[in-house]
Amino acid sequence: MKAPALGLKEVLLALVCLGLVVLAVVVSGAAPAEALQRFVQGSVVGPASWRRTLQEATPLLIAGAAVFLALRAGLFNIGADGQLVVGAMVGAAVVLALPGPVGVGLGVVLAMVAGALWALPAGLIKAYRGGHEVISTIMLNNLAGFLALWAVKGPLKDPRQQTATTALLPSGSTLPDLVAAPPFRLNLALLVAVVVVLALAWWLSRTVAGYELSAVGQNPTAAATAGVETRAVTVRAMAASGALAGLAGACVVFAYERRFYADFSPGYGFDALGVALLAGSSTLALLPSALLFAILATGTTAVQLLGVPRGLSGVLLGALIVAFAVVRYRRRSP
Amino acid sequence: MTGVTVRFGPVAALSEASFAAERGAIHALVGENGAGKTTLMRVLFGAQRPDSGRVEVDGRPVAFRSSREAIKAGIGMVSQHYSVIPELTCLQNLTLGAEQGWWLDTRSAAARATELAARMGYEFDWHAPSSGLSPAGSQKLEILKLLWRDSKVMVLDEPTAMLSPADSDALYASLASLAGEGATVVVVTHRLPEVLAHCRTVTVLRAGRTVEARPVGETTTDELAGLIVGHEPPRPVTDRATAGAPMFVVEGLRVRGYRGDEAVKGASLTLHQGEVVGLAGVDGNGQRELFQALVGTRPAQGRIELQGETWVGLRPGARLAAGLRLIPEDRHREGIVEDWTLVENAALGLHRRPPLAKGRLTDGPAKLEHAARVADRFATRHGGLGSAIRSLSGGNQQRFVAGRALAMEPKVVLAFQPTRGLDIDGTAKVYAAVREACRAGACALVVSFDLDELLEQCDRVVAVCGGLVREPRPGLERDRREIGRLMVGVEA
Amino acid sequence: MNLALASLITLSVPLVLAALGGLTSERAGVMNIGLEGKLLAAACATAVVAVQSGNAVLGLLAGVAAAVVLSLTHAVLTQSFRLDHIISGMALNALALGGTNVVAKAVIDQERSLEGAYLPVGFYWAAAAVAVVAVAVYLARVRGGQWLLAVGNDPDKSRQMGLDPVRVRYGALVATGVLCGLGGALIASNAGSFTDGMTAGRGFIALAALILGGWRPLPTLLACLVFGGVEAAQLQLQGTPVFGAQLPSEFWGALPYLATLVAMVGLLGKTKAPAGLGRA
Repeated sequence: MKAPALGLKEVLLALVCLGLVVLAVVVSGAAPAEALQRFVQGSVVGPASWRRTLQEATPLLIAGAAVFLALRAGLFNIGADGQLVVGAMVGAAVVLALPGPVGVGLGVVLAMVAGALWALPAGLIKAYRGGHEVISTIMLNNLAGFLALWAVKGPLKDPRQQTATTALLPSGSTLPDLVAAPPFRLNLALLVAVVVVLALAWWLSRTVAGYELSAVGQNPTAAATAGVETRAVTVRAMAASGALAGLAGACVVFAYERRFYADFSPGYGFDALGVALLAGSSTLALLPSALLFAILATGTTAVQLLGVPRGLSGVLLGALIVAFAVVRYRRRSP
Repeated sequence: MTGVTVRFGPVAALSEASFAAERGAIHALVGENGAGKTTLMRVLFGAQRPDSGRVEVDGRPVAFRSSREAIKAGIGMVSQHYSVIPELTCLQNLTLGAEQGWWLDTRSAAARATELAARMGYEFDWHAPSSGLSPAGSQKLEILKLLWRDSKVMVLDEPTAMLSPADSDALYASLASLAGEGATVVVVTHRLPEVLAHCRTVTVLRAGRTVEARPVGETTTDELAGLIVGHEPPRPVTDRATAGAPMFVVEGLRVRGYRGDEAVKGASLTLHQGEVVGLAGVDGNGQRELFQALVGTRPAQGRIELQGETWVGLRPGARLAAGLRLIPEDRHREGIVEDWTLVENAALGLHRRPPLAKGRLTDGPAKLEHAARVADRFATRHGGLGSAIRSLSGGNQQRFVAGRALAMEPKVVLAFQPTRGLDIDGTAKVYAAVREACRAGACALVVSFDLDELLEQCDRVVAVCGGLVREPRPGLERDRREIGRLMVGVEA
Repeated sequence: MNLALASLITLSVPLVLAALGGLTSERAGVMNIGLEGKLLAAACATAVVAVQSGNAVLGLLAGVAAAVVLSLTHAVLTQSFRLDHIISGMALNALALGGTNVVAKAVIDQERSLEGAYLPVGFYWAAAAVAVVAVAVYLARVRGGQWLLAVGNDPDKSRQMGLDPVRVRYGALVATGVLCGLGGALIASNAGSFTDGMTAGRGFIALAALILGGWRPLPTLLACLVFGGVEAAQLQLQGTPVFGAQLPSEFWGALPYLATLVAMVGLLGKTKAPAGLGRA
């Protein structure tokens, strides 16, 4: 599928988006040149920056794959954020109750189950009641937030801490680093993320189930006429997407954060939507796409040290999505 | 209209086409699908900008940039699929875009509407939702919409496509009375008998050019048919199959329709091995629901059996596995995935069968080979099997879908308007291939609203009316009058 | 009891305004998950201008202007750039959330001492009451309303009938902006200042009310009152034991979202979305 040629209109829009970001930086009182320098240094210069960027890329890759899978089935899984949070919470709870490698393994599995269960209502409502998944997943995100808040204030709270957080996971109960040469570190979780993307690419292009899922996403009526059980595919796709998002949450807990706390996700799920949209129709494009979003995230964190508020990342995300989507997701003229 | 040219990319839909019509008469514009009839009329209506050419109305040159301007200038168009919006009431549809003022005075509008309707001898419940209208009712509403807008030039695109013979005659009577009041009526059609019976002049388009324009009195159906295709039309089929054993049996089938009422009311039908059966009927008599019930996408009660094996309770996937093959009505919605390549589309519906699938995995090389066979079957013209199917013309897409339906040992071929978008040659080829598949041991049911096509091409024709299948009396299986009577519910 | 009623109205009216804004947009066929962003932008603009100028009317106008600008951006993206309606709505929500954070930090923090001037909330209550009636009458009895419904149901056929769907939708989205602007200004006026993310998902609750109301003005109003009622009850009931058990505050906070979800399971099969929703 070739993207239609870009016109003046599209270039203009991209410039407006860029202008918005610069404006946001200026309004917050920073010098754009200095901000840009901080941005680059904080994200892609030196081993410490790369460690942060690759760490950030891990959940974006897995959650991006989750959103991508749903998108292939014609579903906008805005709920990846909530599924990720629930997965992380369950993962942390399991390991706190059962430390050790077995606990981690079980934690990963149950995190995926929890993510799938959190996505399931949206899939069922879509398949059997015709309710739009965007609305239901937004509601489920809010519910996940309240559930997590309750858990870390109550049953999961570490009594020795002032803030609402769980205890730190014991050191033998995490995912190991593959490379540990401070300040650079590379965790097993990133490898898991890359494998997830490769496996998804293979599954979508080489299996009957992947073929049917794409058919439902592209034209549900034709898929039903061709003997595909569209409702079942919809429900399964949503649950699988939730399971991947739950896995992303577990990876963040077991590889990097080592605990679960209130406001755990800085909006991974929404960045993941950007990652998936930017990847377009190619599964493997998730890899560079997630890396780009990770660079953006670590870069804006670095810029925040200049006094630029964190809202900048929202402006950046919005501007980026508009710019990319206009190029890739424009509908054809009638 | 003179020297009108319209290009879509490198393809010229119209090259130097011309058309003229005088006031106070019905004029016909005929030609094959894809000859450019609709495009030419869309130019007149301001819905399509011509690349070159002149359009004159009442001697004055015009160049409408939108339908709005054309409507203001007194030109009205009824498209083939009607522009009635089912969610609005009849009155809202009537007045849409031509309201009497910014405040909607429904009482006075309804009064004027009733008056217009009375003039044509129609009756409407103006405040009822228009979703309840029959095709004939929608057509009548469309005509009143033209009157409401004081249209002087009225263009009707395939107005009888969805009407019964009786409703068609009534429509032409209405049009004749409008012409008698001074309107210019243009009918775009492919039904030549109508042209000869009701129109004053006829213009023939072929491949975007005007090849003939003359009074109807100076021509015949055969001559027109020759002009339309550019060579002798193919002869009707003569070899009829002798029916084999009963193969596909439907008995007492009841199906609920889109509106929740019972659309198929106990239909029974038997297809014998080797025969092609045509199902004739006016649109909206339960054909769609029957078709979907046989496919399995709509729940049904009753008996469906293929060679003694019951299909009731079987999902569509299992029916496809048992040998069901489809040429669905609306290929964009039901038949293809437009953004997919030809390779992917060729597998759609057959994708679980070996050799396209090996267990849970798909087989790339086998899919490619299969796609090449499907495309070759009816000589689909395409720009490579890896290109998206949306890049094909409608006719070529239809050829591809037909090719797919006859691949991999079909047992029951169900076809709904299989020749929509095909020219006369393509039509003959599709039917020939369906017959060939049947002679090799399958059976076929073809649903069409075109009785003449069915009579020409099928071994046997039955009629559907009011959700019931009616069989003609023995010896009259291909009798036009007999079937026509059954179609409109007149007992033999 | 009077207090409960006042709290019900206070919590419902922003929802009513936002849901009506969603209604004009979605009945014209433009999906709008960006109500939240419009509310937030309007609240921020109202608060900032109210602090800076000390003029309540200017504050309101700024709020409305901010929401209209966002709404028109949605129109440009979906109609002129033919961008997917959900992607556009998401992106604009992110922009609004981030942008208000940046602006509020830059402007309000430095002038903490200044008190803003706001219109009395009664004005907004009256505006909401008028808006419900006006939208209902407009759709049923005015030419523009008929065009809006036609375009929302079938843009192609509407074009055939001489309407300009893009223009109708631009008009509808201006109305969306004005209504959401009023809603956002009210939220700021209620609180007396702007805080980060202060709309707290009301835009999404309004969207849910719109869906439960079947995209019709009066049922939507009713749904808003129910949601506002649940929220008011939540504030009243927080801390009171239910069947002898002390329920956590998070349960009450989650209640509106849970109610929406349950309602989607139970009711949605019976309502019908505009046929042309999201179609180019």
